[in-house]
Amino acid sequence: MNQTVHEADVLCVGGGIAGLMAAIRAAESGARVIVAEKGNALASGAGRAGNDHFQCYIPEAHGPDIKPFVQKLSSFRGQIRDRKVAQVWAETSGEIVKLWDSWGIPMKYKGEWEFAGHGFPGDKLDHLKYSGKNQKSVLHREALKRGVSIVNWVMITDLLREGDHVAGAIGLGTRDDTMMVFRAKTVILGTGFITRLYPSPINGRVANINFPMTLTGDGRIMAFRAGAELVGLDMPYKHQGPKYFARSGQATWVGVIKDAEGNPLGPFITKPNRRYGDPVLERYPALFEDVAASGKGPVYMDCTDISPEDYEYMIYFMEHEGYASFLKYMREEGIDLRKTPVEFGRYEIRINGGIYTNEKAETSLKGLYAAGDELFGGIANAAVFGWIAGENAAKSGAGRNADRADGFQSFIEERKAFIQSIKARDVGSDWREVNFALQQLMQDYAASVRSESVLTAGLTHLRRLREKARYSLIARNRWELVRSLEVLNLLDLGELVFVTALERKETRGGNIRRDYPVTNPMLDKSRLFVKNVDGKIVTEWREVKE
Amino acid sequence: MPPVIDKDKCKKCSKCVDICTEDVYFGTPKGGFPVITYPEACWYCNCCVNECPEGAVRLRIPLNMQLARK
Repeated sequence: MNQTVHEADVLCVGGGIAGLMAAIRAAESGARVIVAEKGNALASGAGRAGNDHFQCYIPEAHGPDIKPFVQKLSSFRGQIRDRKVAQVWAETSGEIVKLWDSWGIPMKYKGEWEFAGHGFPGDKLDHLKYSGKNQKSVLHREALKRGVSIVNWVMITDLLREGDHVAGAIGLGTRDDTMMVFRAKTVILGTGFITRLYPSPINGRVANINFPMTLTGDGRIMAFRAGAELVGLDMPYKHQGPKYFARSGQATWVGVIKDAEGNPLGPFITKPNRRYGDPVLERYPALFEDVAASGKGPVYMDCTDISPEDYEYMIYFMEHEGYASFLKYMREEGIDLRKTPVEFGRYEIRINGGIYTNEKAETSLKGLYAAGDELFGGIANAAVFGWIAGENAAKSGAGRNADRADGFQSFIEERKAFIQSIKARDVGSDWREVNFALQQLMQDYAASVRSESVLTAGLTHLRRLREKARYSLIARNRWELVRSLEVLNLLDLGELVFVTALERKETRGGNIRRDYPVTNPMLDKSRLFVKNVDGKIVTEWREVKE
Repeated sequence: MPPVIDKDKCKKCSKCVDICTEDVYFGTPKGGFPVITYPEACWYCNCCVNECPEGAVRLRIPLNMQLARK
């Protein structure tokens, strides 16, 4: 295996929205920046195909009172945030929106700030409708303009630590036999969500899921291994949208959620409404299960009453939201949403929790920052905290000495030997086999409905599986080797889901405990942290900072 | 398989191969026709379709992703 060494002031792991925003800002602040991306940074991450909604506060559109917006940003799909984090998000988001607009991502609709979706009548709407189809290519261009060096086709596997400070990372070429060593004064993680932990809702299709299959929580687990705190891994969440087309969502749809007889299932709207979509989907977690149990299913998204203007509006934003393949499919099949209600369903379980970061995007580890979906929040979160991470990482690294000894070689050799052992094996389990074993285990023992005895049994089972996988994984080529390393990351993340789920002895949101049916009000403001202390998994409840 | 290449239109420029973050086209030889090595990894993001200057790539939607509808 070849070894190459790369040096930078700031290393951004992941070239998605967060990573590119971090890189742009760090470079502007005078840092030498490298973005290390597992695929191609022009088309990677969850935001690659586009987006059409950006959660923000714009004073001239919303008025001078920022408080309701900070309040809204303080909680998200079963997760809560420190008040300061929400405050900084609200305060910074308007500037970022204007910046994106000036770079050529159209943030206004027909010349106006347009807010819609993820709200209900009477609510303060904070999702800005924008035309984000080109967002990745624009950010990529802006990063290159500022001298950022983008290294594509490298999977970062481990952080390097020097004393209590992060000092870089190592990674594996995904297309050639290379080990890359990145030495940096500070590192920013932006590797996105965890996928492939729970099975796809569509039988037999590993990548027909809500987010791309190469997002495997690499950042979370390398941060955990290096000693950073993670938070909120215990809470399951399921997104929803057109059934069987799982790379979709709900917010862009202008229609009414109805049962099979055509009765609206929510109290909010009876006719398609471009301002609100149908808020029932977000306000009623048990909707699909309840409708199925009532015998009145399936659940339909019914756009048949839509006005011509609202139809044009919906299709326009679907295009920008990244629905191009979906729209083309509908055109080819002759499916007209003005005439045909489409079934909606929930997608795979997702873990929105991740790396704990404060309002400066600092993790609990010195020299390590994280942004974007390393800790839930969508595109606006990625843009705002990517920017903040870039600025602070550049600033805090500026005083550090870059000349460090090569004290990492024995660790690197150990990693190489492990990778070599997978490559050398002829007979064993490939990544699919291990991944499917993990998914069935997560689904059977740690889905939404949980109990202590089942979680405990599942955890034992998972640890056995992991032990076997470590000594039986095979990979026929580089592509499969990378998938194998991802699966090993997922096994470790799965363990943390079990350990933390056992600690939440209550029912809350999507987390249903058969043995603890009560929602404990004493935990309303608390989150569950997990940390690696000398090889031991340690959990701790902590209140959010008001 | 999801990406389907029209061999009459394809000029073997490899743009689809290089844009695909999931590396569905892994192992395509330089200057050769794109090889769909890992079709199951496709996320239907349409990046390869958009990237192709010849309009030679389309995505085929598998039967178990067909929309359920009235």
